[in-house]
Amino acid sequence: MIQEHFKLAVKNIRQRKLRSWLTMIGIFIGIAAIVSLISMGEGLRVAITSQFGFLSTDVLTIQAGGVQMGPPGTGVINPLTVDDTEKIGKVAGVKASISRIVRSADSEFNGRRNMAYVVSIPDGDNRREVERIANIEIDKGRLLKDGDTYSVVLGAKYGTDDIFGKPVSVGQNIVINDAKFNVVGIAKEKGSFIMDNAVVMNDETMRELFDDDEKVDIIAVVVRNVNEMDDVQERIEKLLRKERNVDKGEEDFSVESAKKALETLNDTLFAVQLFVYIIAGISLLVGGIGIMNTMYTAVLERTKEIGIMKAIGAKNFDIFVLFFIESGYLGSVGGAIGVTFGALFSLFLSFIGNAALGSGLIRAYFPWWLIPGALLFSFSVGSIAGIIPAIGAAKLKPVDALRYTK
Amino acid sequence: MRLEYLHFAFDSIMHRKMRSWLNILSILIGITAVFALVSFGQGLSTYVNNLATEMGKDKIMAQVGGGFSSPFDERYFFTQEEMNMLERMKGVEDFTPMTMASAKIEKDDKRIYTILLGLDSDMIRLIDEMMTIKVEDGRDLKKGDIFKVVLGHNYQIPNKIFKKPLRKGDRIMINDVEMEVIGFYSEVGNPQDDSQIYMTIEGFYTLFPEEEGKYKYAIMRASSGEDPAKIAERATERLRKHRGLKKGEENFMITTFEQAIQTFGAILNIINAVLILIASISVVVAAVNIMNTMYTAVLERTREIGIMKAIGAKNSDILFIFIVESGVIGFIGAGLGVLFGYLIASAGGRIAAEAGYSMLKPVFPLWLIIGCLTFGFCLGAFSGLFPARHASRLKPVEALHYE
Repeated sequence: MIQEHFKLAVKNIRQRKLRSWLTMIGIFIGIAAIVSLISMGEGLRVAITSQFGFLSTDVLTIQAGGVQMGPPGTGVINPLTVDDTEKIGKVAGVKASISRIVRSADSEFNGRRNMAYVVSIPDGDNRREVERIANIEIDKGRLLKDGDTYSVVLGAKYGTDDIFGKPVSVGQNIVINDAKFNVVGIAKEKGSFIMDNAVVMNDETMRELFDDDEKVDIIAVVVRNVNEMDDVQERIEKLLRKERNVDKGEEDFSVESAKKALETLNDTLFAVQLFVYIIAGISLLVGGIGIMNTMYTAVLERTKEIGIMKAIGAKNFDIFVLFFIESGYLGSVGGAIGVTFGALFSLFLSFIGNAALGSGLIRAYFPWWLIPGALLFSFSVGSIAGIIPAIGAAKLKPVDALRYTK
Repeated sequence: MRLEYLHFAFDSIMHRKMRSWLNILSILIGITAVFALVSFGQGLSTYVNNLATEMGKDKIMAQVGGGFSSPFDERYFFTQEEMNMLERMKGVEDFTPMTMASAKIEKDDKRIYTILLGLDSDMIRLIDEMMTIKVEDGRDLKKGDIFKVVLGHNYQIPNKIFKKPLRKGDRIMINDVEMEVIGFYSEVGNPQDDSQIYMTIEGFYTLFPEEEGKYKYAIMRASSGEDPAKIAERATERLRKHRGLKKGEENFMITTFEQAIQTFGAILNIINAVLILIASISVVVAAVNIMNTMYTAVLERTREIGIMKAIGAKNSDILFIFIVESGVIGFIGAGLGVLFGYLIASAGGRIAAEAGYSMLKPVFPLWLIIGCLTFGFCLGAFSGLFPARHASRLKPVEALHYE
């Protein structure tokens, strides 16, 4: 039975070729726009969040309050101290509490200067933790080890022409804040803007270089058990409130899980994307109106036909299904063509982005739900648009319908 | 004759009410979105252009750092000597150094962090002019004001920064030092600038003794007849030489205010253009819808066309009848679209202002309204062009025969 309905619907669409095509173009344009926008948008979001992909799930980061512009630790009023780090290390459930210093500095090599992003790495067991958290892997040379003074591991970008006009190699010297440093290793490329541009040096050297024994820009806490994350966070907050003499609700510091920070970033990006999708979705709405219009016309044209069908025993429901399938079909075929073109278009764009601009930010990413979702959505738009005309057709009185003339 | 075409158009639109309304609806939706987005874009360009021309034309801004660094980074600052050097440059008429820090503000047990600016009280006028703000309530800072501050606009609004709005004469704690509020600045239009706090540079150094003699910003005014861009370039070169840096290695930035704001404006314009482009996809779909309806209309009225031709209608008459019909649909759709777009954009502007972004204010220039209406008519007429041509070329005899 349903099969026959389908046959009839397809036949009707074929008979009104031009109109059907134009109707489908309406849906096609909207779906193509949405599919390409979503795949590019998701690609961009994945590219941005992967910049922070080195954040592990078992890490809490602690920062002092202030207006943050630039790297962590700038603009804070009452900085965290080495003492805080040690006290946090004794909190139950904390595996490691690590002081980190993050600063900008002047670097010099090949007669050229550059503003560098310098981060510290601690001695002992915590060194492994930081290497794991920050996902530092070596490409050439070696990682830093305890006792290395005035030695650095450079981010992958330093191994290219990008920074000083010629690559820095292992064994060479580089000047940072007027002090000479020996390059012991170049890190693997991580595709992260921050990590690939970072200069890593031992904590002790960095303290000496910046002449600062106390201040900590960021404390990284590794928890023993990921499930206890929230409890550990509460304990640390309680301790710091006591240490810094502030009441609950008035904290001048923040304890945040890396995962949460990433989620917040994700949410913000998603809100922007959603706005763009909604604007693109307007065209789909207009396409839906086109289908509705075509279906009204179809009902009108076939009034006599409907009368005959009813006269020979077709039920209201049969008539309804007939038109409903027809409009759903218009939607899905338009949608399928749209998905194809949209996907091809965004692949084309990401090809251009890679080849011409060399940018990793412009790339197509197709989440698993995108293509089935778009197809389902276009079918729904089509069938919803067809509901009212189909009801109209189903409700026609056989006698009136038979008598109808244009 | 012309009027008759219109008459025909209305007649057949009314006859096929439902279909015409659906078409009008599809144009309306697209025009609404485009109109609202353009009006926001226009509002932003107006804002940026006003900033650039009114206040920025002759101003040059110097700031520390660049790249990864933060303006709070203690290693980057201008020295008194450098400031003097810039001040004495040829073509610089007015000059004022500024400094800034992140500060902790407390009032009634509530704590916030914000940017504290230290200004040269003799040159307040230049700063007010550059930021297009003035003290609305209270008085400007003057020499000798040490423990006195002027607050950004948002401090006088309840529940914006502090629950209770601050008043002139109130006392607040800044980095644990009590300060008296002596005035409030007018609104800039974004939450960051509107929550800044201003004090004299002497007061600033009292609060941050280690910052004494260091500056983070400077504003210069070019004398009339001088090209500010050239002065900015010369100043950059001078300072670069002074610091012994090569080109491209500057750890400071000197630009004209116009350049800075134009860059900002250009980025906003690109974003707006992309949004408008995406929104206009729906207008294209609407055009396809109209074309579709017109083909149907031609088909339905084939006999009518035959009769009209038989009694002497020319091809061009038929052509016009259909073009005007679709044009009128486009026009009505655009008219309603402009109306809805206006309502939506005004509401959006109010929401943005409520959130502290009064710089996001839509404007509705006359050309935009007329442009949308004309565009709607042309779009409709254009969509009707092919069906109309098809209709006009029908052979009378065949058309009369059509069943």
